[in-house]
Amino acid sequence: MIEVEHLSKTYGSTTAIEDIYFSVEKGEIIGFLGPNGAGKTTTMRILAGYLPATAGTAKIAGYDVHKQSMQVRRRVGYLPENPPLYPEMTVESFLHFVAKIKGVRKGDRVAKVDSAIQRCQLVERRTDIIRKLSKGYRQRVGIAQAIVHEPPVIILDEPTVGLDPRQIIEVRNLIKSLAGEHTIILSTHILPEVSMTCDRVTIVNRGKVVATNTPSLLMEQLKGSSGYEVEIEGDRENIIDLLQKISGVSTVEIDRTKCNLQPNRTLLQINCTTETEPGKEIAATIVERGLGLLEMRRTSLSLEDVFLQLTTEESTVDEENN
Amino acid sequence: MIISNTIAVFKKELQGYFTSPLAYIITAVFWLISGLFFVELLLGQEGIIKQVNAGEQLGLTGSIDVAYIFLNSFFAVMGSLSLFILPILSMGLYSEERKRGTLELLATSPISNWVVALGKLLGVVAFFIVMILPWLFYEAIVFSAASPPISPAVPLLAHLGLILLAAAILSLGMFVSSLTESSIFAAIITFALVLLLWIVDLIAQNVGGIIGEVLKHISLLENYNNLVQGIFDTSNLVVFASYIFLGLFLTAQSVETTRFTS
Repeated sequence: MIEVEHLSKTYGSTTAIEDIYFSVEKGEIIGFLGPNGAGKTTTMRILAGYLPATAGTAKIAGYDVHKQSMQVRRRVGYLPENPPLYPEMTVESFLHFVAKIKGVRKGDRVAKVDSAIQRCQLVERRTDIIRKLSKGYRQRVGIAQAIVHEPPVIILDEPTVGLDPRQIIEVRNLIKSLAGEHTIILSTHILPEVSMTCDRVTIVNRGKVVATNTPSLLMEQLKGSSGYEVEIEGDRENIIDLLQKISGVSTVEIDRTKCNLQPNRTLLQINCTTETEPGKEIAATIVERGLGLLEMRRTSLSLEDVFLQLTTEESTVDEENN
Repeated sequence: MIISNTIAVFKKELQGYFTSPLAYIITAVFWLISGLFFVELLLGQEGIIKQVNAGEQLGLTGSIDVAYIFLNSFFAVMGSLSLFILPILSMGLYSEERKRGTLELLATSPISNWVVALGKLLGVVAFFIVMILPWLFYEAIVFSAASPPISPAVPLLAHLGLILLAAAILSLGMFVSSLTESSIFAAIITFALVLLLWIVDLIAQNVGGIIGEVLKHISLLENYNNLVQGIFDTSNLVVFASYIFLGLFLTAQSVETTRFTS
C-alpha cells in the first residue's frame, strides 16, 4: 500500500532525511519511531504530498506522491503534528468542509461526517465551537478530519503528543480501532506507543532508517548487542587499529565528549557486533601493548542509544499513568 | 468539481468573516464614517444642497445635477476610505492559515492552489459587498429626489468600479498575506502597497507625456474614477482583471513555494 524507496530531503545544506525506505501492507499499522529531529515529520509530509522529496520515490496505492499528487491526496487522510483546525467553526461544519474539499460526494457527506463523529466519539461535541474544545477533543477532531473521507491510507504525525495520559489511551484505542480497513502509518518518539498499537516498527535516527521489524523481535535483537567504554593511559597510536582487528569488534572511536581527562589518557568507545563478547581480547590487547587500562565497562549499542532516548521520554508518561 | 471546491472555500471564508469580531468592528467603523460623509457631502457647509441653494439664489436653477455630483464625490471619497479598510480585510486570508497549520490541510487536499485562492478572494469580495450594501439606502434617498432622474447605468458602473477596485487590492493583499504568518505584518505591507498605487496615481496626474499616459493607464484609481464618472470603457475592465489575475497567480505560486521550503 505504501512503498518508500531511497527517500531523501535536504534543506539547503542540512539533510533532514537520507535514503529512507520502508513498505507497508494493506491494513497494517506501522510505527515510525525516532527521537525528536530524526526526520519523522519530514517523511510524513512527503508521504502526504505536502513536501516534495529531494530524491527517491514514495508511492501510495501505486501512485507517486509527487507526480500524481491529486490521486494520492484523494486516498490519504493526514493528521499533521498540530491538528489543522479552524477554531471558529463547529466540529460538524468543519468536518463537512473537509469532506467537501476531500471530494466526498454531496449525497454521502452527511453519512460520512456522522460516521467520523461517531468513531472519534465526538457525538456530544458535534455542535461545539472548536476553539472551546479541550486539547484531547481537538486531537480527536484532527483524527476525524483525517478519516472523514474514508481514505485507504491514514498518516498520523505524533498523534498523542501533548495529551494527558487518559487522552493518550483513548487516542491509541481509536487508532487501533481504525486498523484493518485502513492502512495506517503513525510517527512517534514514544516506544510503548508502537508496541501497543503497531504491527511493525521502523526506527529512524538522524534521518536514516536504523531498523525495521515487529516490536517484539526488535526487543529481542537488542538484548544480544553490546559494546565497551574503555579508558586507557599512554600512547594511543596503533592501539585503535589493533583493537579493530579483534573479531566481534565493529567500530572503535575516540570519545572526545569528556574533557576532564588527564592529558595522556584516552576514552575509547568500542562497539561490538551482535551476540559477541570480545571483552577479554580487548583487555589483553591493551595490556600487551603496555598501556594502562584504567576503566572498562559495558555500554549499549547505537541502536540501543536510540531506544534509550526514546525510553527516557516515555518513562515520564508511564509515571503519569501510574 | 472545481466549481464546488471554489464554493466550499468561498463559503468557509465568508462565514469566517461573520464570526470574526474584528470584521464587525471594521464594518461598524466603515458604516459610521460613510454615514458621516454622506451627511457632510449633502448637508455640510460646502455640501451639495448648499451649493444648489446658492445657485438657485443666483437664478441658475437646473444647472446642477445633484444626483450625479453626489455620486461622483461620494464614490471618490469612499474609494479612498476603502483603500484603508481593504488591507485589514485581506491580511488574514493566508497568514491565519499558515499560523494555524490549516494550510497543510488545504495543501494536502485534492484541490488546487488556484481554486483555494479564487474561493478566498470571492469570499472576501463578497464580504466587502456586504459592507457597502447600506449605501444603496443612501443612494435611494438621493436618487428618489433627483430630477431629472439619473440613468441607472451610472450608479451601477460606480458600484462595479468600486467592487473591481476592491477585488484588485484584495487580490494583491491576499498575495502579501500568503508570504507571512503575521496578519499585522501582512496588513502593513499591503497598506504600503496601496500607498504606492496611490503615489503612482499622483504621478500619473501630474506628469505629462508618454510616462504620464502609461501610468494613467495602469493606475487603479484612474481607472476607478473613469467608471465612477459613468464612462464605460472595456480597457478599464481589462486593467482591473489584470490586477486581480496577477494577485491570484502570485498567491498560487507563493503557496506552492511555501510547501517547497517549509
